[in-house]
Amino acid sequence: MKDVVISGYSETPFSRARVDKGEPRLTAEEYYAWALELLLQNTGLEKKDLKGQGVGVIGSEWPHSEIWSAEVVQNLGLEPKFLVRADHGGANAAALLVQGAFAIHAGFVEHFLLIGADAPLSITAPGSRTWRYEEDYMKPFGTMGPNSMIAMVMRRYMHQHNAKPEHFGKISITQRQHASLNPNAYLKKPLTMEEYLNSRLISDPLRLLDICIWVNGGFALLLSRRDRAKEITDKPVSILGFGEWHNPEAENQLKDITTTGIKIAAEQAYKMAGKRPSDMKFFQPYDDYTVAVLMQLEEAGFCSKGEGGRFIEQTDISHRGDLPVNTSGGQLSAGQAGMAGGFLHIVEAVRQIRGEAGERQVKDANIGLVTALGGLAFGGTFIHNYAIILGGE
Amino acid sequence: MTGYAKPLPEITDLTKPLWEASKRGELVIQKCKKCSHMQWYPRHSCVNCASREMEWIKVSGKGRVYSFTIARQVIGNSPEFQKDIPFVVAEIDLEEGVRLYSNVVGVNPDDVKIGMQVEVTFEECTPEISLPKFKPAKT
Repeated sequence: MKDVVISGYSETPFSRARVDKGEPRLTAEEYYAWALELLLQNTGLEKKDLKGQGVGVIGSEWPHSEIWSAEVVQNLGLEPKFLVRADHGGANAAALLVQGAFAIHAGFVEHFLLIGADAPLSITAPGSRTWRYEEDYMKPFGTMGPNSMIAMVMRRYMHQHNAKPEHFGKISITQRQHASLNPNAYLKKPLTMEEYLNSRLISDPLRLLDICIWVNGGFALLLSRRDRAKEITDKPVSILGFGEWHNPEAENQLKDITTTGIKIAAEQAYKMAGKRPSDMKFFQPYDDYTVAVLMQLEEAGFCSKGEGGRFIEQTDISHRGDLPVNTSGGQLSAGQAGMAGGFLHIVEAVRQIRGEAGERQVKDANIGLVTALGGLAFGGTFIHNYAIILGGE
Repeated sequence: MTGYAKPLPEITDLTKPLWEASKRGELVIQKCKKCSHMQWYPRHSCVNCASREMEWIKVSGKGRVYSFTIARQVIGNSPEFQKDIPFVVAEIDLEEGVRLYSNVVGVNPDDVKIGMQVEVTFEECTPEISLPKFKPAKT
């Protein structure tokens, strides 16, 4: 891999947090900020030069950090195209170096920032717990995790784009219809619009039936080199295109929360695949909430911005329809298996392309789009945004 | 005095000036000494230029409701909030160009509207912490 080189480095002074000896007692977050500032000074780069490049972060001694890569980029204002986190203990830096080198060698990014900091001797120091922005600037006001944040997205979306509860209801009802045809789905009982509208308000305007349902479950996928795959299957599914984007509009303090980064991710995916939205035979959008589906219909290019409500009204999104959406029932009805939830959409896309979706099989499903979202942003929508186009032979 | 049982922000070296100002009835936000970018939530560096040289500046406390939700059920936060149900959690856009999460108080939740003009008011929770909340602005 002679096309990839190390072009800069930084290192902070070390401390054992002995305040009695005049040593600084800083947190991991502070060391991340320090390491980045030093790297920019040493290389002469500005932060904006790293926009759209790769970033790798490491796990910390704090087990609280479930969405740590999202926190780090949000704290630092980084806006990478490619973002990974290592949880390889002492091999963290090496693991990131290999992953970063692959990403550059493949031509996906031109730079890859490895940034790793930890403060094991400050674990009891104020501010050392992770997820500070939620603990300090949200929870004291009674936010209820993602439900509150998405309820505000939904309210703003309804206000800005004239969406009605029935639009969200149609997504919930159609996905339930798909789930009723999916033997693995958790919620299979068909729903009516009346039942949707009467489902209780959790965080107004967010209803119970706008929210995914947590389940226990597991998935696996196998990637192979094309020639070796022949030994395993005569129905290989190709990765025709993909795109990703993290922490969109990193500097903007007044983001439009009716948008996501899926627009940027999907544009990359369509370009790589040489395809258009109209080529897609199905759409498996990440669906932690109904409003996420609505926003992504727009951002993946199936209709224009703000037209999602009207599009849903006029389009049959069932497995027999014009644009089949979340044919497994999605996380809203099949279930969200915790942090593994996003496997559902990829596995369903593979099943559809292989023609193995049983009663919910989409006709001629030889190509389709999958998306994934992760990590809710402070005052925004999602930190992580992915689009993947899969296709059959 | 009965103890305040809802979650409270942690006072750190970074946020001490913020909570001291709140005690005085002043709302402060971070401004970058290098590029003048203003940001909320408080961080250890500037999200615009990555400089660690940040200062606190006093803001007007005036803003608008960007979006809001009415909490109808307590899930994933202290049961202490149960007695406040229904209450408004909102995104407030300050005149200075930053967005905060807070509560809109002093008004019936059903009368809160997107775009409503609001101003800061402090709720004294403990001797150390007063939380910045928002009430309809006087016209």
